[in-house]
Amino acid sequence: MSTLWYGLKQGLKSIIQNKIFSLAAIGTITACLFLLGVFYSLFTNFQHMVYNAESTVGIIVFFDENATDAQISSIGEQIKARKEVERVDYVSAEEAWKRFQSEILEDQKELVNVFGNDNPLAHSASYEVYLKDVTKQTETVSFIQGLSGVRKVNSAQDAATGFGSFNMLIGYVSISIIVLLILVSVFLIYSAVDMGINVRKDEIAIMKLIGATDLFVRLPFIVEGIAMGIVGAAIPLVILRLMYESVVSFIMAHFSALSGWLAFVSTAKVFGVLLPLCMGIGIGIGVLGSTMSVRKHLQV
Amino acid sequence: MTGIKTFGNNSEGMETMIRMQNVNLVYPTGTAALKDCSLEIAKGEFVFIVGSSGSGKSTLIKTLLGELAISSGRIEVAGKNLANMKRKELPYFRRRLGVVFQEFRLLDEMNVFENVALAQRVVGVSSREKRRKNSLAMLEMVGLAKKLKAYPNELSGGEQQRVAIARAMVNRPAILLADEPTGNLDPENSWEIMKLLQDVHELGTTVLVVSHNEDIVNKMQKRVITLHKGQITSDARQGGYLQ
Repeated sequence: MSTLWYGLKQGLKSIIQNKIFSLAAIGTITACLFLLGVFYSLFTNFQHMVYNAESTVGIIVFFDENATDAQISSIGEQIKARKEVERVDYVSAEEAWKRFQSEILEDQKELVNVFGNDNPLAHSASYEVYLKDVTKQTETVSFIQGLSGVRKVNSAQDAATGFGSFNMLIGYVSISIIVLLILVSVFLIYSAVDMGINVRKDEIAIMKLIGATDLFVRLPFIVEGIAMGIVGAAIPLVILRLMYESVVSFIMAHFSALSGWLAFVSTAKVFGVLLPLCMGIGIGIGVLGSTMSVRKHLQV
Repeated sequence: MTGIKTFGNNSEGMETMIRMQNVNLVYPTGTAALKDCSLEIAKGEFVFIVGSSGSGKSTLIKTLLGELAISSGRIEVAGKNLANMKRKELPYFRRRLGVVFQEFRLLDEMNVFENVALAQRVVGVSSREKRRKNSLAMLEMVGLAKKLKAYPNELSGGEQQRVAIARAMVNRPAILLADEPTGNLDPENSWEIMKLLQDVHELGTTVLVVSHNEDIVNKMQKRVITLHKGQITSDARQGGYLQ
């Protein structure tokens, strides 16, 4: 307990005594975690928007002309039961004809009147199937095609593949950049702490020669690393939170025309991940950097 | 200083505190720093190690502290065979020794009291009151009880060395190793430090002093072990500095 208290006191004292090195180390962590936070916010929002776009890519399922209501209902149930399916909407033949009139014929009465009271899409009742994950589209389509009572399945295979690949690319790029930022942070914090420790290597040697254990020597440096990690993570988190809310409000206010496309992730959700992530990385980098730097001076 | 193991008696019937047998130390560069050194120092002895620069005096002290590993032979200090000692045992072994350096090696950002109390904290004296009492007693012994709050850069060389001795002695070690303790001091301060080491010796501590100060060594009339190019060339019971 006494050693722990001593480590805590000395660690915090040493941050103040070695102001320049401490500021350099905190600045390094702050810069790296700020970049990481910006990147994560962009990535998570982009993914959210892509997800929204994905959900507009549907599969349309047409039934055999002689399919009964019970058969149609059973097809719907079987599709809904699949894990990758987000929702299944039934479009009746009447609704399909109404949509055709408004979307394709653009409500031109002379063209619509040609058909009188006939519904040219009488056999075009369908299900519109929306997926949670469009990469599963091929699999889902072949499942539906195998169901009894299904005449035809239409899908936007290219759009689905495109979204899937794009999302995967974004995922790989993000992970690579995040890993790179973490490695750079560890290296920079190691160098900053190492410079600080080099100034104090004589102090470490003296402590070792009067009988201090490695833990006793290491503890203040670890406390120092943790404290710098916490401060270095807290600064970018506060800045990012203020920035995120301002940027989202600004975009929503000035680009309202795009509001259908720009669906932002809530601040709580973004920071629900960023807070533990940045704190964990900040503390981890601090502990790793200080442990690595002290290690080589302990061989006295 | 109780509970310290020794190695039975030497030829004069005294308990042995330090024993070196055919010790060799060769650096990775191939330079032999110690060659076939053998010696025995009894509990409570005061011994000078003398020799010219590069004779191996400081190397010998470093091997006794476990700071340098020997290439061959055997070293036993305060009941511990250093050759068998694991790395994690080293701090606990060092707590049985006190060490004083030529350059004092005090921690500049700690005041006099904190420098001495640190040694108590290192060995795990958890009671603040006990640390305070022991440190104050030791600072009183070295005559610095009135300078508790002074920082090392506010003290003279002699005063800094006194603090270093207080730090070395506060845990009541069985052995005090002093590597050129007067090397950076004027003659007057050097004598003050030697008197202090004599006081420490009178408390029953085994004292080993590396020195090349002829005047001091000759006047103290203690046992003198002479090293030359890594070899022990003489061991005089009540000797002087050999040229």
